[in-house]
Amino acid sequence: MKSRHPMLPVLVIAMLLALAACAQMKTLPSLPDWHPETLSVGQQMDCSECHEDQQQGTMKAFNAFSHSPAFVKNHRFYAASDDRLCTVCHKSSFCNDCHTNRVEMKPSYKYGYRPDREMPHRGNFMTLHKIEGKLDPAACYRCHGRANNERCVACHR
Amino acid sequence: MKNFPFCRLSLATMLSLSCPALAAEVSVDSTTVVRIEQRAVSGSPKQDIAPATQFLGLDADKLADGNLSLHFYGWGRYDLADKSYNGDRGDGSLTYGYLQYRFRQANGEVRLGRFFVHEGIANEQVDGLSARTELPLGFGLSAFGGATVHTRHLYGENSDGKGDSLVGGRANYRYKGMLELGVSGVYEGNAPTLTSKLDDGITPRYTNGNHRLIGGDIWLSPFRMVEVAGHSSYNPETKTAAEHSYLINIKPLKKLVLTGEFNEQRDQSYFYAWSMFSGAALNPSDKSRSVGGNVSYGVNKALEVTGDYKHYTRELGNADRYGAGVRLSFLGNALRSGATYHYLRASDGFAISGTPSASYHELRAYVMQDTKSFFYAVDVIDYIFRKKVFNESSAWEAVASLGYHITPALALSGDMSYGRNPEFTEDLRGLVRLTYNMTFDLKGGKK
Repeated sequence: MKSRHPMLPVLVIAMLLALAACAQMKTLPSLPDWHPETLSVGQQMDCSECHEDQQQGTMKAFNAFSHSPAFVKNHRFYAASDDRLCTVCHKSSFCNDCHTNRVEMKPSYKYGYRPDREMPHRGNFMTLHKIEGKLDPAACYRCHGRANNERCVACHR
Repeated sequence: MKNFPFCRLSLATMLSLSCPALAAEVSVDSTTVVRIEQRAVSGSPKQDIAPATQFLGLDADKLADGNLSLHFYGWGRYDLADKSYNGDRGDGSLTYGYLQYRFRQANGEVRLGRFFVHEGIANEQVDGLSARTELPLGFGLSAFGGATVHTRHLYGENSDGKGDSLVGGRANYRYKGMLELGVSGVYEGNAPTLTSKLDDGITPRYTNGNHRLIGGDIWLSPFRMVEVAGHSSYNPETKTAAEHSYLINIKPLKKLVLTGEFNEQRDQSYFYAWSMFSGAALNPSDKSRSVGGNVSYGVNKALEVTGDYKHYTRELGNADRYGAGVRLSFLGNALRSGATYHYLRASDGFAISGTPSASYHELRAYVMQDTKSFFYAVDVIDYIFRKKVFNESSAWEAVASLGYHITPALALSGDMSYGRNPEFTEDLRGLVRLTYNMTFDLKGGKK
């Protein structure tokens, strides 16, 4: 009698697990493409005004994403794991006004009519960056280290 | 003929508006900005600058079976007067342009083209392919790969110091609404050899290293009022930790948020692939560390107050930054105002070369109103140096903006700014702006 391949039971179990996983995934609903309701100005700031619950599936509580000043300042932590949720309300271009490969002008020039928005390098940052760059170079590196360094290259030789 | 990326963007935009997209939901965002400046730099002739820049974004949703979409964004510039920057009269950039297929289940998503990736410790821009999905039992998986998007060549080099290929991804596990753990990594192809030397002809101008990191991230909320988030990364090239960055949010009341943060970077490992500042050549023992906290409290719908403090430590010295702010909102948020004050007390090691002190006060105040017909904003910011910087005691700027909504989607506005600072005796700028943002009142408004 021929001996069976020793990996055969493992492959069968793996296939069964994969099939079970695929079947399970059909029960995990996706987030909507867009926020389903129109939001008034200012209402976008606080998800927990309307949402008491936790997001679909295994996602987090909505109040974690309320746009408090602390959230805005530390939004990188949320974008790193939940940028799919960000895209329900924000187009990618919203982020790319600041976080981009090549920036044409300071975001505060492009949006001079929105002083309420948190934007980097307001005022004469050309002078200030000579202090801030030594103080916290990681803050520079996050945006200008691997990208968006065209203006830096012009002087830093 | 010069082949600007923006020309390619415009062509792609027109093509995407052809037959298949006509059945789709297409939205266009456009901002045209014409800046008017006069530059006078000592030793150079006066320049009149008038760069006209077009930002253009296009999103075509519900293509094919309804789950396919196309997304573009980029800008192009043409100088109407003297050249505004470098040698070219025109310039442009395709920020992103990708096809996306979204699955109705498990937040599955595939992207093809140029896009940004934010996955754990990976923050990259790629010309390639990415995919991600949630898996049963709280697991999730994402991966990306493709060609590196390059930037301007370093001075005296034929490259930007980055490798040509990039792969990475993240695996995560979520437990109910309490915990998320992630493991992520990024691996860039070998960095090019940089050859340029300083004036002595011997010392390398730049030293670079391969961009390769692995790391872990955590989000933990054992109770609704407490939230911990952060990540650590490790550089396999230097075989040491690169960064630890963590924050804790405590929300004892709905509108009260107390935040503490800790950040530490080992300079050589974290900046290893930063060619411009020769990250790979930094002292392996040097660290940058900051510890701080802030508090924000929404007293009511009209008033929010904030306070913050941060302590910085580096080999150059240490510094403290502290301050407070207030934000006001009236008329259903149509009228907004704010003011902040901060003081940076910094060791002299952080001072600008040739100046005695790095400490300065920062004061800022703004007001803006947006009505159905017109909108305006006034923004004043002043940096007051503890000791004069290049014979100037402060750097201040005031910006006034006035605009009119021609239609709900189309607006014309103009800005004027004036300031004095150590760089310019007088800094006067003007700007005219035309914005068009499609809105969908029945689809959640404009994004």
